[in-house]
This record gives sequence, C-alpha cells and structure tokens, in this order.
Amino acid sequence: MPSPLTHEPTSPTANRPTNLGHAISDHGNRVDAVEKVTGKARYARDRYLPNSLFACFVRCPYGAARLESYDLEAARNTPGVVEVEVAASEGRYQGQTVGHLAAESHAAMRRGLQALAAKWRPKDCVVEIEQAMSAGPDLAPETKAVLSRADFVLDAVYTTPVQTHCSLETHGTVVDHKGESAIAYVSTQGTFASTDGLDEPMGLPRSRYEVVCEYIGGGFGSKLNGAGKEGALAARLSAKHRRPVYVFVDRQEEHLDTGNRPSSRTHVRVGIRKDGQIVGGQIRKWGGVGISNRGGGVNIPSGRYNLGAISEWFEDVTFNAGSPRPFRAPGCPQGAFAEELMLDELAAAIHMDPLELRLKAVGDAEHGDMLRRGAELIGWNRRQANGAGAGPLRRGFGVGTTHWSRFPAEVEAEVVIRRDGSIEARTGTQDIGTGQRTVMATIAADALGVPIEAVDVRIGRSSLPAGPASGGSVTAHNSCPAMHEAARDARNKLLQAVADRAAAEVTTLQLRDGVIYNEGRHLMSFREACAVLRGDSVTGRGSWNAQKLGADKTGGTSNGAQFVELVVDVETGVIRVERIVAIQACGRVVNRKTAESQIIGGVIQGLSYALFEQRILDRRLGSMVNPNLEMYKIAGTADMPRIEPVLWPQPNSGVRSLGEPPTIPTSGAIACALFNAIGAPARSLPLTPARVLAALAAAKGGAQ
Amino acid sequence: MTSLAYARANSFDEARSLLTNGRYRLPVLKSGGMDIVDLMKEGLLAPDLLIDVRSAHGQGDSIQQRGDRLWITPNATLAEIAASPIVRSAAPGLAQACESAATPQVRNVASAAGNLLQRPRCWYFRNEEFPCLKKGGATCYALEGENQYHAIFGDGPCYIVHPSNLAPALIVLDGRVEVAGADRDSIPVAELFHMPEQGVRSEHNLRKGEVITGITCSTAPTSGFYAIKEKQSFDWPLVFAVASLMMNGPTIAEARLCAGAVAPIPWRLENVEQALRGVSPADEQALRRACAPSVEGANPMSQNAYKTQLLPVAVRRAIQRAAGLPVEDAT
Repeated sequence: MPSPLTHEPTSPTANRPTNLGHAISDHGNRVDAVEKVTGKARYARDRYLPNSLFACFVRCPYGAARLESYDLEAARNTPGVVEVEVAASEGRYQGQTVGHLAAESHAAMRRGLQALAAKWRPKDCVVEIEQAMSAGPDLAPETKAVLSRADFVLDAVYTTPVQTHCSLETHGTVVDHKGESAIAYVSTQGTFASTDGLDEPMGLPRSRYEVVCEYIGGGFGSKLNGAGKEGALAARLSAKHRRPVYVFVDRQEEHLDTGNRPSSRTHVRVGIRKDGQIVGGQIRKWGGVGISNRGGGVNIPSGRYNLGAISEWFEDVTFNAGSPRPFRAPGCPQGAFAEELMLDELAAAIHMDPLELRLKAVGDAEHGDMLRRGAELIGWNRRQANGAGAGPLRRGFGVGTTHWSRFPAEVEAEVVIRRDGSIEARTGTQDIGTGQRTVMATIAADALGVPIEAVDVRIGRSSLPAGPASGGSVTAHNSCPAMHEAARDARNKLLQAVADRAAAEVTTLQLRDGVIYNEGRHLMSFREACAVLRGDSVTGRGSWNAQKLGADKTGGTSNGAQFVELVVDVETGVIRVERIVAIQACGRVVNRKTAESQIIGGVIQGLSYALFEQRILDRRLGSMVNPNLEMYKIAGTADMPRIEPVLWPQPNSGVRSLGEPPTIPTSGAIACALFNAIGAPARSLPLTPARVLAALAAAKGGAQ
Repeated sequence: MTSLAYARANSFDEARSLLTNGRYRLPVLKSGGMDIVDLMKEGLLAPDLLIDVRSAHGQGDSIQQRGDRLWITPNATLAEIAASPIVRSAAPGLAQACESAATPQVRNVASAAGNLLQRPRCWYFRNEEFPCLKKGGATCYALEGENQYHAIFGDGPCYIVHPSNLAPALIVLDGRVEVAGADRDSIPVAELFHMPEQGVRSEHNLRKGEVITGITCSTAPTSGFYAIKEKQSFDWPLVFAVASLMMNGPTIAEARLCAGAVAPIPWRLENVEQALRGVSPADEQALRRACAPSVEGANPMSQNAYKTQLLPVAVRRAIQRAAGLPVEDAT
C-alpha cells in the first residue's frame, strides 16, 4: 500500500503531512503562553493567602516501623504551632501518614515537626517484587504443545523500575473556608472529582464551595484522585480554624506518597517459526504495587501484534513502599518495553529484520503504513545486523508501536455572547498542560466564525459547566464536540436576533471572520450584531457523553509508531539517542503546536524512563535513597535527541486521543535500538551504563 | 528558635576574625553558597553566622598568571575558570574539569574553594533517615545497601566518593591552596584531604579558623579531563580522570594522573604514571596496557564493580585529550 505521505523531510517540521487542511489551527500559540512564561499564571501552589495556616503530615520514615516515642507537648509549645496530632504508631511504608501538624508559617511548621522528635524503630521490610512474588503457574500442557510447534522458543525476563510522576508542582491544596462558603484551590486533574473528597471535611454542600484549578504544574495521572489527602486535611483545618490553610507536600513526600508507575517483571516463553509466525506461549507478569494490592497491570500482549496462542498470568505483588497511581498510559510502557524487545529477540533468533517481523505481526493496515513510512523517515535501510558494528561507537535502530482508544466522558459547555461583543467559552474541566484552554478557544472561534482572540475561555472551576477528570486521554476529544455544539447554538441564537432586527431570513445569514453576511453580502460586523441583542447576552449550550460518542462514526483508535536511532559507547556503556521519529494519529488536529508538544513530551518522558528514572529504596530500611531531583535522574536538555513528531493525516476523523499513546513505545524502541547496536539484549530498565556493560559482558560470556 | 546572622567580609582577615572571635556557636564561611544551602536544608549544618566572603578578595583579576603559576581567587566561579582564556590555554584540564560540573546555573554561582570543600553527595549522608558514620552514627549504609555510586578504593569505614571536580585537576597541576590563620602559608591540594580512617566526620585537613585565600597551580598546556556520566545534563560523574603530560617528542616523558568519583579522596594513579613513561599517546594499544593498572587495589562492593571497567577508559581518554588527540564518544 502506498504511503499517504509523499514528500521527503528536510527538517523536523518538514515531516508534517502535506494535507495540512485537517488542522484547525496550524500556527497558533497557546492562548495562555504569555501567562505561563511570565509567571502571571497562578497555580494552586502560588496561593499564599493572608492569614494562612501551613499544615503538613507526620510520616513514617522507613519501609516498616513502629513509632516508639514523640514529644507532643514540645511540638505544641513550639512558637507558631497551632495544632498537632498523632493518630497511629505503625508504618508499613515510607511516607505513610500517621498525623499532622499546623502552624502559622512554613518555618514554624518545620520547627514543630523537629520538636515532635518522632522516634521510629525500623522493622524488617520487603522492597521489591522478587522478594515477595509467587512463582506463578508452570507451563500448561496446551502451552507446551503450542511451543512444540516453534522453531525457536525465547525464555526471557524483562523488568522495569518504579517511575515516580515528579510533578513540578507537588500535590496540594489551599482551602479558604469562610464559614458559609469556601474556595478550594487544588492542583488536580479532576476539578469536579475533587468535590468527592472535600464535601465531608468542608462540611458544606457543593453549592456553597468552589474548586478552582486554573493551572496545574504536572499530574500525569497522579492527581486524578481529586484533592487527595492533602486537600482533605486543608479543608478540615480550614473549616475548623476559619482561616486559609495551605497544604503542599515537599519534593521527598512527592516521590514517596503521591503515586508512581509500578515496577514490573515479565517472564515470556514464546515461540516463533522460521517463517516469522509467532506461535504463542506463556507470559507471566508481576506488578510491584508497594503497599497496595492492585494497580500493577502490565500491558503485554498489547493487542497490536498477533502473538499466537498466549497463556497469560498476572499477579500484583505487595511490599513496603508507596503505592501506584495511574501514570500516563498505565501498564503500557512496561508492557511495550517487554513486548518490543521480545519481538526483536524473536526476530534475531530466526535472522529476520525486526521491522519485517512487525509488518507480519501487526493486526491492522494503518500500523503497517506507519511502520513503512517511519522506516523511510529514519532511514531503516542504514540498519546493520545486530552487533555488526566495530569500534567504540555502535549505531542502532529500533522501532515500537502504540495505540489508544477513545474513552467516553460527560461534558457540558456554554458559549456566552454579550451585547458588547465579548465572548466567553465555558467548560469547567482543567488544563493539565495539554492545552485545553487553547483547544477550547480554537473550537469555539472556529465554530462561531470569529478570530480566536475574540474568545475568552473559562475553565478549571467547579462552578462552570461540568467536564471530566483528565485521565485516559479523554479531555480534548470529549470536550471539542460539546464546545462546538455550544458555539453553534450561540451563533444560531445571535443570527436569529440579527434576522429579527434586519428582517432577513436566518437561513441566509452567515457569520465568518467576525462579519455577518446576508446572502453573501456584508450586513454588519459581529460587534454591531451583538448590539442588537435584546437581553444582556445569548448563551449557547452543548454536551457530549457516552451515547453520542458511541453513535459518532468519525472516531477510532489513535495509532502510532516510533523509530529510534542511537549510538552506544561500548567502552563506557553511555547511550546517546540521536533521533526519534514519532508518527502519531490523533484524528482531527485542533492546534498543531499543542498536538506536537504532546507527542514530543510523551517521547521525552519515555526516553527518560528508558535511560534514567528509577525509585531506589534502601534494601534494609525501605527508605528511598534518591527522593530528590538530583539522584532521581530525569532526562535534561543535553540528553535530548532530535525528536520529529509526525501527525498522521486523518482528515475525515473527529478529534481522537493524544495524551497517552506517544509515551508508550519509546522505551521499547530504545531498548531494541540498543540490542541492534550491541548485539545483546538489555532486559531491565533503566538502560544505565552499568546495565549496558553487563549486557555486553553476558553476550561475550555466552559466545565463549 | 534558630537564629541566623549574616555578615559580609570585605577581606579574608575580616572573615577570619569573624570566624574566630568566639561570639558565634557555629560561624561558617560562604562564597557561592551552593552546598551550604543544601546542607542547611538537609539538616546537616546549622550555622548561626554565615560569613559571606564573595567580596573578600579585593581588587584585581580573579584569575592571574603569576610567574610560571596560575593564581585563582577562591571566589572564582566555575564558569569564570572554565571560560578564562588563561586557564584554557595554560591548563586546559582544569578548564574542562570546571566546564563539566553541574549546570550552567550552578557553575555561574559555585566557587572554586567551595568546590574543593563541598561535602560528599552520598545519598545516605544527605538523607536524614540514615544516621551514618559521617553524621556520628554507627554504620555505613552503603556497604550492604545501595552502593552503585560509591567508592571502589579505600578500606572504609565510609565509602563516599569525593565530589570535587576541581581537586583532581589541581592535584595533577601541583596545585596548592594558600591559607591564612595557622602557621603555614599554603597546603598542596594533594594533602588537603584525608581518608575516612583519619577522621570520618570531615573530608579536608584545614584547621579551625583557617581560611583559603587563594588557589595556585602550575601551567600544563598538555592536560585533559574526561568524565563518564549517566546523564549529560546535570549529573555527577560515575568516574572521571585528569591527566597532565610532559612530552618528549611524541612520547610521554612524565605523566600526572588523578581520578575522581572512585575513592573518598582524589585518587592518584602513580602506577599508571610509571607505566606511561615512554608511551606514545597515539599508540592506542600501548596506552591501553599502561592504563590497565589504574584499577589495581580496587575493591568494589555489590553494585559498583562496573566502575572498574570505566576507570581505565576514563584515564585513557583523559590522556588522549591532554595530548590533543580526538576522543570519539557518545556525549
């Protein structure tokens, strides 16, 4: 099948599809870009209100420990301390909360905690999957029969570490409770979901308090549970003291107790025939969920490849550490890392190009087209056989695929046009950084027929029309049709008013580029039209829900494929990723810059996961040794490859999901490229120099 | 209630008198303040007086050629040293060592003396949950814990690696710190630090009340630095090495070598220095043979044996860089 893209790239931006018509806004900046880069944008963490109390939790410092003593009196008597409470004396993970302390200032809060002098006695603890997992089932007779049909059976274990979300704005809430009413400034992915945890501590009906989240400094899934325990504490204390209460965790607490991507262990025994047919086998998976007992799922098989008859088994493994929360495509990067590297190892065993194996194994035509196009863009024909290079620097190429579905959400939207010509687009869902403000402004302006600057967007408040929590990549594709409908409704109401005044037929009126036309002739400006309104304003309404989504035929999955080119220094084990071509479908593109930013951000997060990130717990005490941004290593500017986002053209599609799929395939594609470069698989993330050298040594040992 | 006073010293004499007048429980000198702020936040240091010495060196250039040696004010920032035309031509290994450290933001603030005297980055030391030997506790947690970034040389009882990029570079350049406040004028940088068994609570040998007033080193146009890091943005080296060479035509007449991030102090490699005599840096096989003994005496722990693989590579590449040879790598 011929590629839908015809021209050759000369620069990252030249990779853009030729048919740009499907992007509603091709060059638009974020509507709130200036606010964000000048510091004018106010995040919940910025809300230092007059007369505030500052509160924090008392936490267990070890993986398992007993609180043996503390000095409540000394803490209470510390100048500035307002209240302190210790409610439990057992801790089962580092960061577990056992009490709280509130004070007049941040400094007094810290001094109070010191004066509390909590003495904990550490107990034995378990800190990783391998210490607590069950063996899992042996090969069933049917699986043995499947494997017997293979020419080669791969028996391999893949592991991934815990990745913490590392939101730059840590978790927290400021509550300003005035008795009869209150405002909660929450750093959240769920403005409306936040009320679930706040009603009780607020002691107010939802009609009496508002949740505000105008900006959020990162969440990635960890802020889906509304205001969380931080918000509940702030609400309870603010209701009690009738003062604003500020609760934001610090960087260490953020690593320990605000969620993470769980660790994983995947054991595959999968067979392949010489002709490239994967016959199936067994895949056993363990997810390291810390103190939780769920949430460790590992998404392999992903469903993107035909892996034959697979017998799957999974176990959540509990131990003494903070528990997972959803993290940008939960379970998927873990699974994709194992699946993609497994495919490359299977291909190597039968001396087949891993791209060819994928083209055989992918279940849909679009992924096949993407694989072929990506191979052209990265220059796959330059790929040598695994480990074929010589000298200290070895070049490698790798590939991975991704997909994501459209999940439904309930959205309500309003567009208000006022007599002075001002326009408000209103829907309460927050912007988690993806560009929701820009997307809503673009849709409303486009549907009205006015310039984007004419639209003021109101989001991130529970007093606005309801919208979803931003998880599962639901926000844009569910909000857009609702906002579109609201804008169309408002426009129709305005045009009706104009028709009434001008004695014209509403069906012959048009609103385009801020001008009203009647039968194609200039009638009046948009502003003049607004002045004819009898009341102060007209309000258009729109909505979207599961039923409408189900009936919509323009949807579908957001497929993608990523190609990696890297260089490895085999003397030091240092990897330099040079290029990543990231092909991604997301249906109709609303704003090209924010769409490409989503892809680039997903790739960066995937690269950082592949090469650097890991929560490291001391094996004896269960305390995290790198709970900071110094030794918890995250990719920085000098680690960046050239990232080339390619928005796959889908001109007849509606808006589809985009937030999560671009981060899924990156780590697997990097691991495959490393395998290609050095001829040995490194089956554990992160791919540190030590791991690369160990993989090389193992391969050398095996060859002797 | 903790109180903290701040004083700006206009001369090192003034700094020294503030340090020794006995009016404060724990007066501490600060130049850039990078590490001081970290230590205070980590609860490892609670001074009641900060003496800011940034304006203490008076007039004059912060980096000067004095006869056959370089003189650097202790307040010179890493960025200044890295960018200095004098240092870049007369001691490129030193410039490269400064350029490789931390981030541009840190280098613009961090001082030369502060780089020498900063406390180690060991995650057990820096983490209040672990009452390690350095904090007066009974255990080195690294020994049976998470030790991938710890020392491969030394017999304990503490397994930090010394964090300074500058110190090994100065050592191969016969560097000295000029000091005021005791019966000595200067100390070789090679004698500025001690192993944990000589005192685990501190890393350096300055005496109480002693102040670094200058840093000097010889010039060595054939010097070079090489670091191996996991991340290329803002990371501490896994291993690094600095080389200074005296050439006799195409071969090495005499070499000075020092490695970092492998031991509790800057780690001299005298055995490799011996082996390098008469070797041509362009002869890669001979160079590899000469660098191999760099790991002699290493005694790695459970997770840091990879450093023994990295060290000879870092040493070889530092020598190649010193000799002006191209180094092909993945950074």
